[in-house]
Amino acid sequence: MQLKQLANISAALAAASCAVLGQDAQAGTVLDDWQFNSAILLYNETDRVSAGEAILSARGDFGDDKYLNLGLVVDALTGASATGAVAQPGVQSFTRPSGKGSYDVAPGDTPLDDTFHDTRVQLDASWEQPLAPNWRVSGGGHLSKEYDYLSLGVNGSVARDFNQKNTTVSMGLAYSHDTISPEGGVASGFAPMLLRSNFADDDSYQAAFDATRDRADDTKDTVDMLLGLTQVINRDWLMQFNYSLSMADGYMTDPFKLVSVVNSNGEVQQNLYESRPDKRTKHSVYWQNKLHLGGTYLDASYRYMWDDWELKSHTADVKWRFPVSEQWYVEPQLRYYQQSAAEFYLPFLQQSDSLPQYASADYRIGKMSTYTLGAKFGTKLAAGNELSFRIALYQQNPEQDGADAPGVLANVDLYEKVTAVMAQVSYSF
Amino acid sequence: MTDVAVSRGKNCTLGQFSAMASPCEILLETADMTLCRELTLLAAAEAERIEQKYSRYRTDSVLSQLNQGAGQWQQLDDETAQLLTFANTCYQLSDGLFDISSGILRRAWQFDGSDRLASQAQLAALLPHIGWHQVQLKPKQILLPAGMELDLGGIAKEYAVDKVLQLLRAQFTPSSLPSIVVNFGGDMHCSRPRHDGSLWHIGIENPGLVDHAISAVGLTTGALATSGDSRRFLLKDGVRYSHILNPKTGWPVTDAPRSVTVAAPNCLLAGMLATTALLQGASAEAFLQAQGLKYWLVA
Repeated sequence: MQLKQLANISAALAAASCAVLGQDAQAGTVLDDWQFNSAILLYNETDRVSAGEAILSARGDFGDDKYLNLGLVVDALTGASATGAVAQPGVQSFTRPSGKGSYDVAPGDTPLDDTFHDTRVQLDASWEQPLAPNWRVSGGGHLSKEYDYLSLGVNGSVARDFNQKNTTVSMGLAYSHDTISPEGGVASGFAPMLLRSNFADDDSYQAAFDATRDRADDTKDTVDMLLGLTQVINRDWLMQFNYSLSMADGYMTDPFKLVSVVNSNGEVQQNLYESRPDKRTKHSVYWQNKLHLGGTYLDASYRYMWDDWELKSHTADVKWRFPVSEQWYVEPQLRYYQQSAAEFYLPFLQQSDSLPQYASADYRIGKMSTYTLGAKFGTKLAAGNELSFRIALYQQNPEQDGADAPGVLANVDLYEKVTAVMAQVSYSF
Repeated sequence: MTDVAVSRGKNCTLGQFSAMASPCEILLETADMTLCRELTLLAAAEAERIEQKYSRYRTDSVLSQLNQGAGQWQQLDDETAQLLTFANTCYQLSDGLFDISSGILRRAWQFDGSDRLASQAQLAALLPHIGWHQVQLKPKQILLPAGMELDLGGIAKEYAVDKVLQLLRAQFTPSSLPSIVVNFGGDMHCSRPRHDGSLWHIGIENPGLVDHAISAVGLTTGALATSGDSRRFLLKDGVRYSHILNPKTGWPVTDAPRSVTVAAPNCLLAGMLATTALLQGASAEAFLQAQGLKYWLVA
């Protein structure tokens, strides 16, 4: 008895007192208050894509636990991205996906389409508010527009607190409708990439090219569902579990990606536009821990994702924030990601084999591991504003998965590693 | 409307009013008297709201209505339900020592500095009506057995301090928030450190010298609450009986420190820990050490 009385009860009481005080003061007026976050991100892959992104988000406090969240993202991509075609010992010529113009790839180089550039603008808005004691709801929408892509979506969620707000169960639903309108139209599955040099004149080339395109645009509909459980373990430990289900129906092929058809000596006979299934169901489970450890702050999470394309992935992410002075903190990050290949991933097609139903040589759905090694440095400025700098190295290591490289392919790099550097500056005010 | 007085202090402005049987102060680090007056008026209104709702002296208070409805299931509003849930947690964690149903012991004890102790017969008649474990609490309902009474005297003032600060805080954007101290008779909560980095020096009443605040505590942020028997006690045969009563025996706790002050993130927590420490009697300091929070103790 005496032992129990002298136990440390302050942690449990602190949680209980916060639960009592969690509700808003009941008298007087509350002034509207806006909080802004801004960030600039630069992403640069060695010899490939460069991207710049500007983010501005705002959260308006309308009192009574009602908030309006607004977001604006503008990003610009430029540079070269892998087409999926294999490297060869000789020079290769490619027609741009629009059908207009061509480019050559040097011997031994992984074919990259160097005209890759796009600008994207994304707007999103959501409103959240309490519905009844211990219930919160939110609803919102987004619009994202690129030159050849439009995504429109709506989402909603509901959360219920239990156990003196120590347990929160949430459910979210989202729907988005995407339209892709690639320049030159959408290539039919496994349409051949035609070369202008194989035709007598522009008109005959254009007529043949048009025959490989069967529609100007295509669409994709996606429904996402999320079930979440957040649990306060103690004053210093918060745990979260999520299960999410994503069902997509529509055009999921990348209109800019090719698959090379090679002969028994590994020499490219023809490049075909890739073809992917038009349905995909993804599941993922996510486990996150946020811990206070003696003045430091640890955020460790793990995600397992699997889908009916037979792609499975594991993601482990650890961030650890340490104070380094009164004002500054440093937050190292290590993230490791590993995925198995989608069932229709093939680095190339063999001429002697019959054409499969689907095939893609996009390394992003092949067997791969990646890691991110980074650090963030942040400081609290006067008046409660926060400034932070983040720098990270992102390494993608595609791996061979079964397919042997015949003939000349044995001497080229089919699984080229990609290294990227990210730098970010964020300011909250 | 409560009367408020606003004056200029040294490097601060001060708003004063009286509520919950205590002198109440709002200390503001800016020199803006108008702002100080507005905040003090808001504070006084909120303190009055809580006092009206939870006073046992007002028959129309929510608390008195609950006590009058003992013997049947009663609906609870959100705020009251949360306070009672907190009281329940306090009861569980203090192993039954912090009990909001023990107020009826007042009928047997008057702590007027005299030597009139309660009789065991008086206590025996009251004890069956004490014990939070007899109360049935559902999320929005309570069943208080007939003959029992609840008293939020041990929580309401600290709760009011926290709620008033929460209300004053909400008048500012996070970046424009000044340092504000809400001090209700020694139970206090500070919004943030002063911009010039200096401490708020606020006196804690020393039980040995009533009304002479000799222990000034430097406060930067967070809350302080004090529990003690400086004014209310009985003295018989050289034994000092504090007004802190053990709800299990009905008797005052003996060998407890005269006063305990605890620093904690909020006043509700600080006050609850200070009171629970006193209830430990001679083990008060050991209990405080186990909490891992700053404390001051007058033996």
